[in-house]
Amino acid sequence: MDHLASALLDFPPAGALPDDDRYNWAAKSHSEKVDQLAVTQSFKEFAAQLLDHVDPALNSISHLSLLIAARSANSLPQAELLAKISIFLSTFDARQIRYAGKAFSVLLDWLVGGTLFPASVAVELLTTALLRLDPTGSVLTSYHVALVKLAFDTDNVEHALPVLEKNVVFYPGAKGQLETRPLCALDLPPVSYITIESGLTKQLSSGDVLQYDLLRGLCFIQRRSWAQALDALERVITYPARDNHSCSKIMVEAHNKWMLVGLLLNGKAPTLPSHTAGGAQKAFSTLGKPYQAIGKAFEESTAESLKTEFESVGPQFFSEENNLNLMRLVMQHYQRWQILNLRRVYTKISLEQIRARTQSAETAAPLVTEAEIQALVQQMIDEGMLSGVIERPADGGPAYLAFHETDDELSETDFAQKMARTAQQLAELEPLVKATNERLGTNREFVRFLVTQQKKDKDARRDYDLSFLNQVEDEDLMTGVVAGF
Amino acid sequence: MADSLLAFFTIMDSQDGIIVKDPPKFDLDLYIQNYKGRTRFDRLFLIGRSSVPLCVDALKAAIAEAKRGKDTQRYREAVECLRIAAPSEPEATFDQAWLEAQEAANQIETNRLLTELKGYKNNLIKESIRMGNEDLAKHLESIGDLNAAAETYSKMRPDVSTPKQFLDVGRHLVRVSIQRREWGMVSAHLSKMGGAQHAEEEKAVQPYLRIAQGIALLGQERFKDAALSFLSADSTITASTYSEVASQSDVAVYGGLLALASMDRNELQSKVLDNSQFRSFLEQAPHIRRAVTQFVSGRYSACIAILESYRPDCLLDIYLQKHVAAIYSQIRSKCIIQYLIPFSCVSLDTMNKAFGGPDQGIEDELADMIQSGAVEARINTIDKLVTTKAANPRAKMQYSALRAAENYEKQALDRLRRMGLAAAELELKGGKKMGAFPSNQADFMIEESLEL
Repeated sequence: MDHLASALLDFPPAGALPDDDRYNWAAKSHSEKVDQLAVTQSFKEFAAQLLDHVDPALNSISHLSLLIAARSANSLPQAELLAKISIFLSTFDARQIRYAGKAFSVLLDWLVGGTLFPASVAVELLTTALLRLDPTGSVLTSYHVALVKLAFDTDNVEHALPVLEKNVVFYPGAKGQLETRPLCALDLPPVSYITIESGLTKQLSSGDVLQYDLLRGLCFIQRRSWAQALDALERVITYPARDNHSCSKIMVEAHNKWMLVGLLLNGKAPTLPSHTAGGAQKAFSTLGKPYQAIGKAFEESTAESLKTEFESVGPQFFSEENNLNLMRLVMQHYQRWQILNLRRVYTKISLEQIRARTQSAETAAPLVTEAEIQALVQQMIDEGMLSGVIERPADGGPAYLAFHETDDELSETDFAQKMARTAQQLAELEPLVKATNERLGTNREFVRFLVTQQKKDKDARRDYDLSFLNQVEDEDLMTGVVAGF
Repeated sequence: MADSLLAFFTIMDSQDGIIVKDPPKFDLDLYIQNYKGRTRFDRLFLIGRSSVPLCVDALKAAIAEAKRGKDTQRYREAVECLRIAAPSEPEATFDQAWLEAQEAANQIETNRLLTELKGYKNNLIKESIRMGNEDLAKHLESIGDLNAAAETYSKMRPDVSTPKQFLDVGRHLVRVSIQRREWGMVSAHLSKMGGAQHAEEEKAVQPYLRIAQGIALLGQERFKDAALSFLSADSTITASTYSEVASQSDVAVYGGLLALASMDRNELQSKVLDNSQFRSFLEQAPHIRRAVTQFVSGRYSACIAILESYRPDCLLDIYLQKHVAAIYSQIRSKCIIQYLIPFSCVSLDTMNKAFGGPDQGIEDELADMIQSGAVEARINTIDKLVTTKAANPRAKMQYSALRAAENYEKQALDRLRRMGLAAAELELKGGKKMGAFPSNQADFMIEESLEL
């Protein structure tokens, strides 16, 4: 057992390793050694005891293999094992784990399986682990997809938000990459070490990627965070296609929800981004017809057509498409948006006038009493949708709604702050751009493409010069028109 | 109103005709004297079908006009109308004998001209062929076969030898196209007439060209271009050169109204009031001149009042009728916009006094205008105030700067994502044409768990 312990505590050595190459070599050999030890009988026997002596934050590779051995030998009480796993997942050294991806994925699979931990804990642990591994959150892994499914199915969206709110721009499975830096290099972008080969993710299909964003959208819908939902769904509907006719069913589903979410967020139908794939555009225009009709009706000044549109399609249809609740919300929001749009015309308007001018989409008629409209307006104010106040004059005049002046102009400092914040956000993109650039620069196919392109440019230039010289008449030779050539 | 008249206008109303109940300010006889040619009947007939007070008189005049000509179809239509509107009038009965005689005569004349033309063609004398075609086309036009007339007129073109003949062909074609309400064709024929003429001939037809062009543009609802066209017409040329299309006062009304609808105050001053060419036209229509002057000097309510009092006249004009509503509402909203410019706050009552009619307040109209973005203002219905909002370029700049940065970030992320997807070869590929939905996703359904 002592022999085992000394081997396990061997890495990382007490003094810090001087450079990346040395670290790389040591980590590799240590990870191989641990893998060899892990299959021995004595390792399994002593795993439970050794766990206490191996610090999860310091000797992460060793601790990880002990955890796996302890579970397979069933040598620890369940509660203790779970506590150890939780501690490990929230303290492990991400740099070491780059060398132990296969073992780490075993652990993550336990979480995803959902039997070991209650779902809410599993979601939280997965989120922490994924963010420790890749603080930028820019790489999609198979565990991201599993996480969003788990979170959405078990209604634990909140804990997964730190991962879901990240912008994914890299996907595993890129071919023809040449990475010269060692795996442990601290400036290595996450996409270079979270690979299928390192074991930290499994191969993804386009369906997985689409599902991930659609489910993200649904999570945000659940949280009523419409802007984020719209953004996530837009990623699905603008998913690139190689040809001009293919479109996934997931994309159509996302389009329909996207339309409704757009109505809720902006009060008008969103316009399809211009870079939507051709096949998808066609599919949306045929399969999404009822939704586009709803979008169009929503923008009209009377509720009549929205109501007929909804009723002609029928709640049955929307419920089959799993959009009935969203659709109900859209119907409710119609009048709210009408009231909200009044702020562009009025500064103060009596409740009675609001009642007469706006219609409920459910009945296609104005509300019956002033009290109802007051309740609605008050609700909008309380929810923060509307900035204004309901006033009741002391002299018994009619109650009215006063919209707050929205002062568009920002003060110089406010504006500078906002701009600085935006600039900061843009600066945060820099590592992503750098990583993409590096990857392109080291991609064999891209380099080949660049070379042919340059050659073509040179040829074109030469052709142009030639054709120009041929065009010059003999007389022009004296005017100096070809002096530059 | 007599029962028969009522019945007549109910029919007209059901045919989406415009009905004018108020009497116009002009005298029918004097009005029609300004015109010659087939437009006389068209104008009389239109007035007969639109104006309640002038209905019977105009229809009777139209019947008389039709009987002087050769177009039997027109006669039938006019009598048909009068029979419903005023069955007791002597003109309301068909003059069967005249009708039959005229139709027979028309037929004989057509045949005669056709044979003559054939003869000319055999002789191969260009001038005769041209004249033969012209005679035939004129005859066809007079009996109302405009389609054939246009075709025959255009057959004159190859045999034209002098600039005057060239212009004549163009004028014939323009006139027929105007009668057929083919505004695009009018413009096409006019542009052919425009080029390569001798100075004198061109000068003589200049007002004709401009006025016809203006009418065509009006028909296409291009008000500003139409206004400019009318405003550039030369008033020194006698009205008889274009009286088959419009009268002098018509030019003043069209030009003035359209200018009011489409130009701002400076332009109105320089292009309408200070325009010496157009001034003599305006003398024929002093009310338009007054309206423009009032607008320029900022008395918008007076301007609108004048225009409103002449609305029946405009509604009875053959070319203006369809566009009166649009032109008037454009002028009105321009007045409101101009009225609001110098103020930061106006009370609704003063605006009502300036623009509101007895039956409707200004508030709804103003709300619509704000909604459509024509005016930057807010209404306060409680204190009855209208506050205008000055454009704030600073706020706009700040807003657009933030938006641009936001957009930039979004686009950058999107491009990175697409490159990432392309690098990982994850783009959608359909395989077969029909396989729009890869089968491994077909059974993917999402349970919605949105709780409300």
